[in-house]
Amino acid sequence: MGVLDYIWLGVLAVFQGPEAFTLFGIAVSITLVMVLAGFLFGIVVGATPGLAGPFAMAISLPILISIFGYSPDALLPVMGFLIGIMKGATIGGAVPAILFNTPGTPDAFMTTLDGYPMAQRGQAKKALRVAHFSSASGDTFSDLVLFVCAPFLAILVEAYLDLPEKTGLLILSLSFIAAVIGGSPGKGLISIGLGLLAVYVGTGEDFYPRLSMGSDELSRGFPITTAVLGVLIIGAVFKGLEETWRENRGSRPTPNVPETGDQKLHWPEIKRLLPFISRSALIGTGIGALPGVGSTLAATLGYSVGRARHAKTKAPDAPEFGKGAPEGIAATEAANSAVSGANLIPVLSLGIPGNAAAVFLILATETIGGFNPGPAVFRFSADVVNPELVVAFGLFTCMTIANLFNWTIGGVFMRSMGFMIRIPKQLLLPSVLLLTLTAIYVQETRLEAIWFALGFGVLGYFMRVLAISPLPFVIAFILGKSLEETARQAYSATGNDPFFLLNNPIALAFILMSVAVIIFSGRKPKKAAS
Amino acid sequence: MPSPSRSNLYIGLICIIFAITLIFVWIPLDTDSGIVEKVRGRFNIGDALAPTVAACFVLVGSILLLVSERNDAFQPVLGNSHFSFIASLMVVTIVSLLVMRFAGPFFAEIANLFRAEPIEYRLLRATPGWKHVGFVLGGVMMVSGIIAIVERGFSRRGLLTAVLAVVVMILVFDVPFEDLLLPPNGDV
Repeated sequence: MGVLDYIWLGVLAVFQGPEAFTLFGIAVSITLVMVLAGFLFGIVVGATPGLAGPFAMAISLPILISIFGYSPDALLPVMGFLIGIMKGATIGGAVPAILFNTPGTPDAFMTTLDGYPMAQRGQAKKALRVAHFSSASGDTFSDLVLFVCAPFLAILVEAYLDLPEKTGLLILSLSFIAAVIGGSPGKGLISIGLGLLAVYVGTGEDFYPRLSMGSDELSRGFPITTAVLGVLIIGAVFKGLEETWRENRGSRPTPNVPETGDQKLHWPEIKRLLPFISRSALIGTGIGALPGVGSTLAATLGYSVGRARHAKTKAPDAPEFGKGAPEGIAATEAANSAVSGANLIPVLSLGIPGNAAAVFLILATETIGGFNPGPAVFRFSADVVNPELVVAFGLFTCMTIANLFNWTIGGVFMRSMGFMIRIPKQLLLPSVLLLTLTAIYVQETRLEAIWFALGFGVLGYFMRVLAISPLPFVIAFILGKSLEETARQAYSATGNDPFFLLNNPIALAFILMSVAVIIFSGRKPKKAAS
Repeated sequence: MPSPSRSNLYIGLICIIFAITLIFVWIPLDTDSGIVEKVRGRFNIGDALAPTVAACFVLVGSILLLVSERNDAFQPVLGNSHFSFIASLMVVTIVSLLVMRFAGPFFAEIANLFRAEPIEYRLLRATPGWKHVGFVLGGVMMVSGIIAIVERGFSRRGLLTAVLAVVVMILVFDVPFEDLLLPPNGDV
């Protein structure tokens, strides 16, 4: 089995998987249908202010598991649907940002700066076309980088990193995530610590489940769905409800500006946008490949770099950034969309989730089983087929198909989603809460899971109020067990050497880098303040 | 310009106390093995090590917050309104969940008053109608109650939204799947 054989098997797994229906005598696989359904659902969710891709992924997962079960055959349809949501939500977020000055997703905030002024000038459709073209370009570029880099990185990790180094790498990842998410390393470390603590409750190797305080409920530990959905989704619902309660606004009057001028995007305009798109795609991909650095930072950086270039190169009568420049939309959308593919590089090659969408992809693989994201996935065994590698190439195929949908029907569907802004948040969010609690219950079938999820939801709410990012908590919860297991194995493998992290040069380098990341990111605000 | 809020200082102090309590009280009292344990003359990693590392993350984060982020320009304000809002949400949610949990058995007991042969809710939890009683009542109460909190008053629109949401969820989770149990039917 060579590399090309594995790629071909991955493609076949998608196209020749279980059949959904027959079209003109050709069997259409269920995975294809699920990618399309997820992509369209993602656009709808992204275009709805107050919702985001992770909401849709959280709610869909138990339904998907019920439909497809826990067999390895379920992996590609379920993951295909989730990948579709991830990509759809990215472009959907631009719709309310451009039409109503309300970003559908947090990373679309910068899109409002130029998108809304364009809409106010009667150029809404053109602005949406710019956003779609740039988003699809950034996303496609990022996916190509993922397809090339993830296997190489995984092979390097497998070849050069042993157990002590892997322990060091996990510590470095957690420190890096703490330092960069949310802009406060102190709060990031607290969030990581709380996430680790939560996952260690009721687990361990002793007969007595640690930290369970003698309680039967805690002795089984917190189910992963309760912690992830509680902190990420229920906490966000509570915060969204509170903001709506404070605003106490009725239905917002929607401006109705008549279209003026040509709304199509022509080749000379595309040529003018391409330098902005390519720079932002590079920035977004680079940032996305680092675990924990979100698409909002990519959008901000892409926008800043684009603005600097635009100031030098723009025609005298062309609008500046912030006043309705199509280049501003292109720079933002290409950057934030380029994060989504690259974010899967640490997931697939190291098993480390970098953002909320990646968290749900890992949650799906953990629930279904048969695929453990990490360096072992990319083991190109020649004599025996590595089924995980086939799934990995199947996922790449799903991403390529989602990109094709994006290029062909994504723009039209996205432009028809403007009405989603009219759904009031105060009606939507309580329904999302009940939906999330129901989704948790159907997976866990015990009420204590709902109580746990509510408790985590309250924690997530206060974390948001206090500007403590909940994402490091969730990532630490997911990586906690693996960190402990790897450390235990490394300790045994090094002949019970208590200093295994310091006696190994690569592991030591990772630990020093962890310390440096925290120290340097901690010093940055101080300098800025002075 | 210094922030009028000193929330970083308070978060740091509370988290330091929490981390110290964890390291010196909770973890030693609530784990069987220590940080390392000696088994047959060899040292092994004990169950207390991983939670202690977690507590150290909290401790280092708190110290960092106190040392380098104490005077940050942007510091969020945690006011009484946050507590009162989340408390009102929790009251509605918890009461709704209790209604969800006990409505089915309660109605079964009411039905028993008019029947010669008593029925048990546990045996009815797969029967359409009976299995939906708790979910419908509790779900409608939760959604419409939260809408009422946010809109500062009950409305017909809120009630209709709640009914619609519950019906959609039954159609999504219950009707197509025989093996899925709506809350609270896995517990009763």
